[in-house]
Amino acid sequence: MKTKAPDQVEIRIPRRAEFVRVARMAACALASQLDFTYDIVKDLELAVGEACANAVEHVADESADEIIVRFLIDPQQLMIEVIDQGQGFDPEAAEPGAQGEWDEGGLGLMVIRELMDELEVSCDSDSGTCVRMVKHRP
Amino acid sequence: MTPLKIEARTEDGKTAVLSLAGEVDVANAGLVRESGLKLISDGAHNLVVDLGGTEYMDSTGLGMLVGLLKRLKESGGDVVIAAAQPRVKRLFEITGLTQVFRIYDDVAAALKEVRG
Repeated sequence: MKTKAPDQVEIRIPRRAEFVRVARMAACALASQLDFTYDIVKDLELAVGEACANAVEHVADESADEIIVRFLIDPQQLMIEVIDQGQGFDPEAAEPGAQGEWDEGGLGLMVIRELMDELEVSCDSDSGTCVRMVKHRP
Repeated sequence: MTPLKIEARTEDGKTAVLSLAGEVDVANAGLVRESGLKLISDGAHNLVVDLGGTEYMDSTGLGMLVGLLKRLKESGGDVVIAAAQPRVKRLFEITGLTQVFRIYDDVAAALKEVRG
């Protein structure tokens, strides 16, 4: 039997701080259509905001002028991919403690890891950075 | 989505209150930093950050607060947090920053503490 592909929603935003809210609003709107509680919807909003903020703050490559936010919806889970097309960043460098006890940055991945059920960060110089996170549906 | 409203007031020569209403995120954390640095340059030694009206904060906002704390700790001052709503308070807990900031239920309690 052929497995149905997940429903997919994709938005593209300029890689600038003022557009991160647009991605957050999309996450809220989409998650609200599913069977998540209000608290989980707000967690998803924050996780998407953190991933997009990471793409804005930690990617030095100026040619990476766009962020793709892709939502993949199936009956078991919501997968969200936040992709920039820069030269990637070192996930370990974006973790807290990398530069000292009280880092001003690098808390975003810690927050996402706490809020989501799964988190994977992949980086390479060709395809940039992909933050892939999953929330299981109730 | 509520726009950020920043209010800064000096309580006495050494203590100031920075009230943040709305959303603190990657787009406007820099504005909050500037307001805090202005209070410090005007003589504030201790800063009470009133988050009673803060509906959303991301880690960029937290990082900005850490930056202000580092700045004031250099001169023996402090940044304390007041009236954070549950979701914002949870962000401090997730990141372990409850070990770094003193957090009070309201501004009056925070002011009482920093004034000693």
